[in-house]
Amino acid sequence: MPVLERTINLVDMVAYAGATWDWYRLHYDPEVVAENGLPGPVVDGQVFGALLVEQIQDWLGPQSFTHKLDFTFRNLVFAGETVRCEGTITEVGDEYLVLEQRVVVVGEDGSEGRTVAAPAHATVLLGSADGPGAR
Amino acid sequence: MSLITDEVRALLGTTKVYTAPEELGGAAGRYFGLAIGDNNPLYSDPEYARSQGLQGVTAPLTLVCETNQYANLPIAADGYAGHVWEIEIPGTRKVRGGNWYTFHRRIRPEDVITATWEITDLAEKKTSTGADMLVVTSAATYTNQHGEELAENKETIIFVQSGVAK
Repeated sequence: MPVLERTINLVDMVAYAGATWDWYRLHYDPEVVAENGLPGPVVDGQVFGALLVEQIQDWLGPQSFTHKLDFTFRNLVFAGETVRCEGTITEVGDEYLVLEQRVVVVGEDGSEGRTVAAPAHATVLLGSADGPGAR
Repeated sequence: MSLITDEVRALLGTTKVYTAPEELGGAAGRYFGLAIGDNNPLYSDPEYARSQGLQGVTAPLTLVCETNQYANLPIAADGYAGHVWEIEIPGTRKVRGGNWYTFHRRIRPEDVITATWEITDLAEKKTSTGADMLVVTSAATYTNQHGEELAENKETIIFVQSGVAK
């Protein structure tokens, strides 16, 4: 499946904080970041779940529905870093796909850095924009 | 040493229920899409969404599991305004383990979300460096004002003994 790359800047992180009603200071406050000895504000981990769904949706189009998604966190991501979502098909059914995905940090030269989230798995239903619970 | 204190053990099986004070609203999905850089018109263009068989605009799927809108809680000193279990274990640091989402259908602007959280498991383990750790598993179910199931979210928070783990 096509990769999805995204550079996550501080303004994106502030926007995400607002969009989720989550103003946890570690995601933007330099004093709290320094107190924790970190190199920069920490990207909210749930962003990567959103990106994994976006990667699937962009690839398969509107007539698909991500029914299940799981991911395990491995490393933090800091403001200004670029992440890449990758994935492969592990199972093909009549009306569904099973995918294995992961998220990694990408260096300025395009090289692969830290693993951010892996393994990640998705079950995607095909043929409808909505899920099985839609009425 | 055991990291499961009596206080923590007492939380096993307890639930917390939050119901949003208002509908999620169409702006919430459009805002979330903007924040994550996802410009899919399913989140912003009602005509396009209807042409795909939906009732209207929706939100990126993970929003329902991410937003604190339903919690209606004050902003804490650390800036957080969402559901917490307020577990504090001295001598440990807290890290996220992972998430397991199940989405039953797409969110609609008129949905009023109720989230029901429960601690479903406490497990003591060792890290690869020999540190004690406690894995706390919580599960949330998200329903709307008509009792329709929207999504489920299982997540793990790990308390790792400080000073041993790398």
